[in-house]
Amino acid sequence: MSINRRDLFKLGAVAAAATITATQVSASTETKAQETSKLKDKSKGKRVVIIGGGFGGLSAAKYIRKQDSSIEVIVLEKNSIFMACPYSNTYLGELKETTLKRLTHDLYSGAKIYGYDIIQTTVTDIDRKAKSVSTTDGTIDYDILVLSPGIAYDYKGQFPNWSDEKIRDVAQNAPAAMITGSEHLALKRMLEDMDGGNVIITKPEGKYRCPPAPFERASMIAHYMEKEDIPGKVIILNSSKGIAKGKAFKESWKEVNKGSVEHRDDCEILDVDMEKGTITYNQEVAEDKYKKITEKFAVLNLIPKNKANPVTLMAGVKTNAWGGVIMNGASFQSKTDPNIYAIGDVVGHALPPSGQTANWTATMAAQEIAAQLNGKTWKMSFPYRSANVCYSVVGADEAIMVTHDMSFDGKVIKGKGHVPKPKDGNGKYRSKGVAKLASSWFDGIMNDMFV
Amino acid sequence: MNRREFIKLGAVGSAVFVANPTLMNNTLQAHDGRLFQAYEKVKLVDDNGKAIKASELEVEKEYIFHYPYVGTPNFLLNLGIPAKRKVILKSQTGQEYLWSEGVGAFGAIVAYSGICSHQLMHPNKEMSVVSYVKKEGKTMACDRGGMIICAAHLSAFDPEEGGKNYAGPANEGLASVVLEHDEKSDELYAVGILGPQKYQEYFGSFKAQLKKDFGSRRKAKKLVKIEAPVTTLTQYTKEVLKT
Repeated sequence: MSINRRDLFKLGAVAAAATITATQVSASTETKAQETSKLKDKSKGKRVVIIGGGFGGLSAAKYIRKQDSSIEVIVLEKNSIFMACPYSNTYLGELKETTLKRLTHDLYSGAKIYGYDIIQTTVTDIDRKAKSVSTTDGTIDYDILVLSPGIAYDYKGQFPNWSDEKIRDVAQNAPAAMITGSEHLALKRMLEDMDGGNVIITKPEGKYRCPPAPFERASMIAHYMEKEDIPGKVIILNSSKGIAKGKAFKESWKEVNKGSVEHRDDCEILDVDMEKGTITYNQEVAEDKYKKITEKFAVLNLIPKNKANPVTLMAGVKTNAWGGVIMNGASFQSKTDPNIYAIGDVVGHALPPSGQTANWTATMAAQEIAAQLNGKTWKMSFPYRSANVCYSVVGADEAIMVTHDMSFDGKVIKGKGHVPKPKDGNGKYRSKGVAKLASSWFDGIMNDMFV
Repeated sequence: MNRREFIKLGAVGSAVFVANPTLMNNTLQAHDGRLFQAYEKVKLVDDNGKAIKASELEVEKEYIFHYPYVGTPNFLLNLGIPAKRKVILKSQTGQEYLWSEGVGAFGAIVAYSGICSHQLMHPNKEMSVVSYVKKEGKTMACDRGGMIICAAHLSAFDPEEGGKNYAGPANEGLASVVLEHDEKSDELYAVGILGPQKYQEYFGSFKAQLKKDFGSRRKAKKLVKIEAPVTTLTQYTKEVLKT
């Protein structure tokens, strides 16, 4: 690999530009001095180390311990607080039941109940030969390593001419809010400060976290603007024509938001001028015919291209172009190394990167890992009908949904989606019942990790 | 030990004893002790405290009773046809257990925990996302009716087969309530719980709602004694959400 370790760490840091802090930067320079100390000495027993304490990592930690309580499990997480990305658009929309408290949780309760360790630190390297992970606070040895680091932003890939400073400016002042934390709070603040004008949301090319998220966000922000009587509309600049749950969203934009959400197809973002508050893009108006448009925004939610968090590259296992770990068939084990697993956003399967997928892949991987550590084999039994369900809230008390059946095509696990019309929807895709289910869904998945 | 404590202890001991003959008759097996637990034998009664008659349960109607704790809801169903017999189920952690059969004259009466094995969704007094979809009904969760469904995460469980997980993200079946049927009186009793119990996580997860429904979580955690009132799902909860 031409990239060296320090570069890689930098890359990871840039990808998470919005969360860079002075303490993190200084921590990285101290890495060398602390590298030799052990985060925790390893006993003779079996040990699983999990990188990432999100929906995937915390679910995996719980279910590995439930599967076999003789396995020691340690989660490495760089944040000090858990905040849910799923359902967070309802916080932007100010739905009354969604408080910040409902979206957040301390990271320690699951560890206490299920008997795993959680250590707040940043991973700097993975040594597969030594079966050891280096962090800013020391090293830790593993028998099995689970990669669950989530996504990173690829500003550099999408805007190669932007300086680091510009990327930082855009990341902080037009936050993507696809990785939770300050970005969501900042976006909320900007919406609250806004007296009028348009909110622009960009939907990136390629695989990105939670396919319906930008569209649900448009619905929720439009709802918020109507509720607060803020003049203006929400404009989605879509890199393609594709809209996840498209028919259902279009129906609700028309009928619930009464046209205050505008969707524009085939837009290639060229540049952003944060000072002037404008975004410039090329829209393909006919085959290979482009129109250059500059649009003013009051609030910009620039969602750049996503990629797998580059922690996956530190492991040196085979990955696809997006950074997803190539899997060993119908499995969550990497093809390169039987002691490295991947779950959640970074799996090399054709699954949507979502909280529910992270949770589902974690429950599967937990069974597989426990089997491996006990010298047994474990096989998935396809198809998994309705293994995934994903809700999008489209108004004050209405939501739409998609379900996925999981199958294996000989190479990867694939989800096939189905957008149903609910029984209480009177022929529409949305209903009040579905909104209640969405709310229950969220409580269920949060409880699953923390209670 | 004072006398009162001794009597309490005796009561617990006899509860175990009551269920044991069932085990010895080999109608019930659990390879792992954790997958079967005897609780106090309680009679299923109606709102007025009158015993429920097995033959009077309407076919495919969703009845609800709480057992083994005051705050843990179960479905009681008359499937209309005999449930399958001797079904082997597997917990998420790989332990096998044997579900023996339905009870009543035709073996059509079954009872399952209303707490979904996936993420603990269940009927509460405000609403229920867990319900039974009739055989002729349709559901998004799977390709056929006759299932207990969690509409929030779309897990489906087959009440004809010991509550086996049939579709959706659940990795194990619903716990079942072990019933006894008195052929002479046609009365029904709950005697224990078979399959993966989720009570600890359940009580941890829904503190505010348990307080609302049962006065406090402490009250919800009390064991049911002597009798368990049976009501219908639609009487128990304001809204049933089916998909």
